[in-house]
Amino acid sequence: MGSEGLEAAKNKRGIWGWLNPAHMNLERWAYVFQRVTGVAILLYVLGHLGDTSFFVGGPTGSGPSPSGWDFIGRIFENSFGHLILVIVVLVLFFHGMNGIRLILAEFGLIFKKPGAIEYPYRSKSLGSGQKYLIWVGIAVAILAAMWAFLVLFEGMG
Amino acid sequence: MKESRLMLLQYATAIVAVVLVSVHLIMQGVILPYTKAISFSNILSIYQNGFYAVFLEALLVVVLVHGFNGVRIILHEWRQSAPWSRWVDIGTILAIVASVGYGTRTVVLAIFGGG
Repeated sequence: MGSEGLEAAKNKRGIWGWLNPAHMNLERWAYVFQRVTGVAILLYVLGHLGDTSFFVGGPTGSGPSPSGWDFIGRIFENSFGHLILVIVVLVLFFHGMNGIRLILAEFGLIFKKPGAIEYPYRSKSLGSGQKYLIWVGIAVAILAAMWAFLVLFEGMG
Repeated sequence: MKESRLMLLQYATAIVAVVLVSVHLIMQGVILPYTKAISFSNILSIYQNGFYAVFLEALLVVVLVHGFNGVRIILHEWRQSAPWSRWVDIGTILAIVASVGYGTRTVVLAIFGGG
C-alpha cells in the first residue's frame, strides 16, 4: 500500500478512530465522550422505558399494577441500582453541558475572530473559552453526581 | 428532510431535553424525597394529572428523537453509501416509532387502564 493508500486508510478508521488515543486533545476527548455518553444514555432510556412499563404490569399488563411496580423495585432499588443511577446522572450532565457548548460553537457564539497563522500556530478562533466550558461541564457533572448520591443513598444505611 | 434541518432538530430537541430532564430530576429528588417520589401512589397521581402526563409524553418523544437521531448521525459518520444511509434512516424512524409507542402505551394504560 502506497503512502496515499495509507493516508486513505487512516481517514477511514471511522468510529474506531475515536478510540485511538494518539494526537488527542481535550476537545477531541470531549467529542468522543459526547458520543459514548449519548449512546449510553439512550441505552439507559430504553431500559427505563422497560422498567417503568412494569408500573402497568409490564409488556402484557393492562393498567396500574402495584405488584408489577413492587417486582421492579425489588430488582433495581438497591445499592447497585442506585450506583448505576449516580453514573447515569454523571454522564447525563456531562452530555448536556458539553452539548450546550457544542450548540454555542455551532452558532459561532464562542469563537474568537480568526487571524493570521503565526508561530506557535495555535488556532486563534478557538480561543480558551471552549476549554473552560468543557471543564465547567465536567465540574457540573461531578457536582450533580454527588447530589444524586446523597439523594439516592439517603436513609439506605 | 435535509440533513441541515435534521441537525437543527437535534439541537432543538437537545435544548428542550435539557429543560424537561432537569424538571424530571427535580421532581424525583428535590420536591419529594426519592423513596416517596417513586412510591406507587405518587407515580399514579403524577400520571393521572393531565399536565404531568403531557409533560412525560413530551419528555419521552423529545429524548427518543434526540437519542435515535444522534445514533443515526454516528452511523452516517461510520460508513457512507446510499444503501447504508437509506437503511439507517429507515431503522431510525422505526426505532423511534416503536420506542415512543411502547412508552406511550405505559402513559395511556397508567391513565385509562383497568389494572
